Amino acid sequence: MKVEFVLNGKEVEFDVDPGKVLLDLLRESGHKSVKAGCKTGDCGACMVLVDGRAMTSCTLYAAQVDGQDVKTVEGLEDELADRLKESLLEAGAVQCGFCIPGVLISAYSLLSKVENPSRDEIKAALDGNLCRCTGYVKQIDAIKETAKSLGGS
Amino acid sequence: MLKNVQDYYYPGSLAEASELHDRESRSFFIAGGTALALSESSRPVELIDLGKLELDGLEVDEDRNRIEIGSTTKIQRIVNDNEIGSVLGGYLSESLEKIGSYPVRNAGTLGGSLVRPFPWSDVIPILSVLDTTVSYYHRDGEGRRDLASLYNSDFRSMLNRSIIKDISISLPESGETAAKFIKFSRSEFDVSALNLACRLTVERGVINEARLSIGARPMTGDRITDLEKELVGEKLTEDLAETAGVSAADLAELGGDDRLSEEYRKVLVKKMTAEALMDIKKEVANES
Repeated sequence: MKVEFVLNGKEVEFDVDPGKVLLDLLRESGHKSVKAGCKTGDCGACMVLVDGRAMTSCTLYAAQVDGQDVKTVEGLEDELADRLKESLLEAGAVQCGFCIPGVLISAYSLLSKVENPSRDEIKAALDGNLCRCTGYVKQIDAIKETAKSLGGS
Repeated sequence: MLKNVQDYYYPGSLAEASELHDRESRSFFIAGGTALALSESSRPVELIDLGKLELDGLEVDEDRNRIEIGSTTKIQRIVNDNEIGSVLGGYLSESLEKIGSYPVRNAGTLGGSLVRPFPWSDVIPILSVLDTTVSYYHRDGEGRRDLASLYNSDFRSMLNRSIIKDISISLPESGETAAKFIKFSRSEFDVSALNLACRLTVERGVINEARLSIGARPMTGDRITDLEKELVGEKLTEDLAETAGVSAADLAELGGDDRLSEEYRKVLVKKMTAEALMDIKKEVANES
C-alpha cells in the first residue's frame, strides 16, 4: 500500500506492507537515529515526532502516519536542536548514546511548547525514555541549561 | 506486533468503516494502536484506521456541566487541556496522567481504552466514578449507553462491532464533590497491579453520594456498590475512612496471583480506600 507523509520537511511516499511498523520503515530508509530497542514502546529509543508529539515508532504502524508530519533527529536542524545536543554533551549526559536520539526528541518536544520547564516537567517529559548509563540527572541538567541559554530563567 | 495484517483501510465515513468491519470477521478498528501494537496475534488480517474520521475533540460546555471527548482524542491532549484541568479539582487530568508514559499517552485514546478494555485498565475506574456515557455507531443503529452498562452481556456483541464516537461526562454541580484516583504498579509506567477511583459528594461533612471503583483486581474495574451504599449518610472522618478500607477489602472481588497475590491486594485495597477518602476529605475542606 502507498503511504504519504512529510518526513523531516520533505513530502515522501513509500510502498509499505500494511503490517510494517514506522520504526522499520524509517531505519530501512536510512534514518538510523531511530533505534530499535525494546520494540514494545517501553524504552523510547525509537521515538519520533508525529505532528509535534513524541511517539514511539515501534508501536505505530507506518500506515498510521499517512498525511502527518514526522520528524526524526536527522530533521532537527534548528537552534533549539543544536543547543540541546551541545548541552547534553557538555553535561556529560551521553555515555553509550543509544537512548540519546529518543531523549532529544522528548526534550525538543517539551521545549517547543514550554519555554522554561521545571525539573518536574522535564522528568515527566522524559518518563518514556530509559537510560542505563548516566541516568537522568545530567540529562535533566542539560535540558534545563538549554532552556536557560535560549532565554528561559 | 500483529503477525498477519494484509490490508489497511482509511474509511471516509463511519458508515464505510462499519461496512468494512462487517465484511471481514478478522478486521479490527485502529485508533491510537497502543493495544494492537503489543499484540502478537495472527488473527487480525485487516486494520481499519479511524484516524481520519474526525472523531477527536474536546469540549467543556459553557456552564461547565458537561465534558465531551471525542473517542480518538489522545489521552495526553486531555491531560494538557487547561479547562479539563480546572474542573472537578483537576481529577481527570491528574488521573489520566498516571496512565503509561508520555509517548503512550500521546498515542492512546479514550475510545480505544473503552472498546477493548484490559483488566488493568486505569480508564475504566477513572471514568466509572463519574457520570459517564458513551456514544456508539454501527451502520444498523447507533446510540448512547451509560459506562456502567457498556460491558453487559446483552451489549457485548454490539460493542465488538461498534465504533465509539464520543465520551460524555456530566459534571456535578456542587463544589463539595471531589474525586481521587490511586494506582499501584511495580514501576512508574508499568500497568496497574491494582487501581482505585473514588468520588464523594459531601454536604456539611456528611457523604450524600459515593462511588468507588477498583480495577486490576486483576479483573477489569468494577464498582463496589454495597460499600457505596454504606457510605451514604455517614460523616466523613478518619475513622470512617479506616472502616471503609476494611469493608472494601472484604467486599471487593479480588483474585490472585497475577502481578500480586490476593492477600497483598486486600491489604492494598484497605489502605488505598482509606487514603482516597482522606484525600477527598481534605480537598472538600479546602474548597468549602
